[in-house]
Amino acid sequence: MYDAPTMEVLLGITGKDFTLIAASKAAMRGATVLKASDDKTRALNKHTLMAFSGEAGDTVQFAEYIQANAQLYSMRNEADLSPSALANFVRGELASSLRSRKPYHVNLLLGGVDPITHKSRLYWLDYLAALAPVPYAAHGYAQYYCLSILDKHHHPDISLGQGIKLLNLCTDELKRRLPIDFKGMVVKAVTKDGIIDIEFDDDKVVHAA
Amino acid sequence: MSRRYDSRTTIFSPDGRLYQVEYALEAISHAGTAIGILAKDGIVLAAERKVTSKLLEQDTSAEKLYILNDNMICAVAGMTADANILIAFARETAQDYLLTYNEDIPCEQLVRRLCDLKQGYTQRGGLRPFGVSFIYAGWDPQRQFQLYLSNPSGNYGGWKATSTGANHASAQSLLKQDYKEDCSLDEACGMAVKVLSKTMDSTKLSSEKIEFATVGQTKDGKVYHRLWSADEITALLKKHDLAKDETAEEK
Amino acid sequence: MASGYDRALSVFSPDGHVFQVEYAGEAVKRGTCAVGVKGKDVVVLGCEKRSAMKLQDTRITPSKIGLIDTHVCLAFAGLNADARILVDKARLEAQSHRLNLEDPVTIDYITKYVAGVQQRYTQSGGVRPFGISTLIVGFDKGSDVPRLYQTEPSGIYSAWKANAIGRSSKTVREFLERNYKEDMDREATVRLAIKSLLEVVQTGAKNIEIAIMAPGKPLALLPVEDIENYVKNIEQEKQEEAAKKKTGRTPGTGTAAILTKPQSDTEQ
Repeated sequence: MYDAPTMEVLLGITGKDFTLIAASKAAMRGATVLKASDDKTRALNKHTLMAFSGEAGDTVQFAEYIQANAQLYSMRNEADLSPSALANFVRGELASSLRSRKPYHVNLLLGGVDPITHKSRLYWLDYLAALAPVPYAAHGYAQYYCLSILDKHHHPDISLGQGIKLLNLCTDELKRRLPIDFKGMVVKAVTKDGIIDIEFDDDKVVHAA
Repeated sequence: MSRRYDSRTTIFSPDGRLYQVEYALEAISHAGTAIGILAKDGIVLAAERKVTSKLLEQDTSAEKLYILNDNMICAVAGMTADANILIAFARETAQDYLLTYNEDIPCEQLVRRLCDLKQGYTQRGGLRPFGVSFIYAGWDPQRQFQLYLSNPSGNYGGWKATSTGANHASAQSLLKQDYKEDCSLDEACGMAVKVLSKTMDSTKLSSEKIEFATVGQTKDGKVYHRLWSADEITALLKKHDLAKDETAEEK
Repeated sequence: MASGYDRALSVFSPDGHVFQVEYAGEAVKRGTCAVGVKGKDVVVLGCEKRSAMKLQDTRITPSKIGLIDTHVCLAFAGLNADARILVDKARLEAQSHRLNLEDPVTIDYITKYVAGVQQRYTQSGGVRPFGISTLIVGFDKGSDVPRLYQTEPSGIYSAWKANAIGRSSKTVREFLERNYKEDMDREATVRLAIKSLLEVVQTGAKNIEIAIMAPGKPLALLPVEDIENYVKNIEQEKQEEAAKKKTGRTPGTGTAAILTKPQSDTEQ
């Protein structure tokens, strides 16, 4: 079940005390854009956010299932799961789904801030239940364009402002190179105080050479 | 008349009590004393062995203290066979959590899971409750060192110092008297043997009569737990001048 | 005498009693007291708290008030371990409801669910009933109307303006009946909850726990100092009233005197 990279963009960047998660706003079916204000993220708890791409339907179904379980854990134990624990939980769910009759086809970025150590965390997961802790990450075609930029410019202790600038470098390149309009990005930052929406300029026009 | 409510499964008596649970508690008050003390840099568990024999393999037949997982140990008082079932369950629960989340289970959660099982046996069909109390000692990142006590009803609570088993009332009042906030693990160990020596029948202790374990942190912050060997216990007893006089006995 | 009809689990006796359920009610009465009071746009839960012993670790000892979901709160009286199991079931249902229906549970719904579980344990083979009563409070999504329900071991549930469960609940309920007013503000609601608890809690603020719910806000636990202030205030008022009674009629001060039972001198 090889899957071709998608045009859906997921990006994640960690910094000194935050994790940025960005997801393209276009909901697509084939060559058609169905919606230009899609939010491909779900908050799992106060300080963990998950972004998803993949088969339409599978994605939301799976993400909300994970969200419900994360929230159930929080209610039952009066404490939240750490991003690391959640990432491992999600990996386990994907792994058992993969070996079922109809596996979920979902790729994920899971970012957050550890509630105890306050360290930023980012995890890359794909539909084959691979899990990797990473300082920055992308899914889909965006990997080809953005990882090199992030390789060059990312530092572990960047500030939120610098992180957003980095994100702009990435989206500029995506606008320049991707053959479709991904309708801008939903951008959210996770800090020790919770998840905040980030204003992000989607209107900038970038032309290819 | 109360015989009518205590001869079968766990059901309510007319005044709303669960006699089976109360009798299970009674069973525990005949068991060897176990105590736990929370220090600022660790926890000590100590317990009185009831079965002593020169022929018993000391290092391999633990009666009172068990390791539950990498961050938790426990002391039991009551029916050892019942305890074995619960300990096996706790170990499996802890590993299951580790498999799911790749993190050690938080102490209170493990205690609660065990207590939920205990509660089930006070409510469902034809079973008697587990006749065991546990003292748990553990560490997790959220609450650091923690000490818990649970009993057959499925109730549990957190403690700074606690005891169960025979003479637990006098052990508890001794602990109340001697406990110092923010004491060190060394001091807690000393207090533990002193309390045991006073609550046990014989005034002089020996390593074959007690079991001893500690949870602590190494200098680089790693949490460890350790069941003490006979030699270590003897050394501790000597240090506090509580050891049985070996030469006297030989005479 | 009940002649055996109370020994098998939950069967009818010839005169129509289900003794195990009634005895479970006794277990509730042995539990510490809990009250719930509705105000205009607030609902308050109050609990009698056993005083912590010196060696208890206060970080950990489980509370009698717990959240079922972010907008639903439950207090219980009776067997602690039973409550833990029931609360866990309710929490699971609340999240499962969110996942399947995309809406948080209504207070009415979760009450019916909790009561349903309790009922099942009065009629299933080989189980005893839950030895707890619960008070369930909260606000439905998008609503400013406070809700307060009670469930019992039998599985009966009912809606209340104010109610009490557990030890001496009758005394407290009668007190609430005498002193309840419609449309109380937050201050007055909390005050009534504390005052009613003081009818049975002799040891004052350190043995009282208060949780407050307001629409769209997280559960607020009242700090001990605040409870202390309320208690002091209430005690003072009681003394003034007692003094007034002694001196006979005094000129009206304007504050409406709330009838209370005369208090003994032993109070602190």
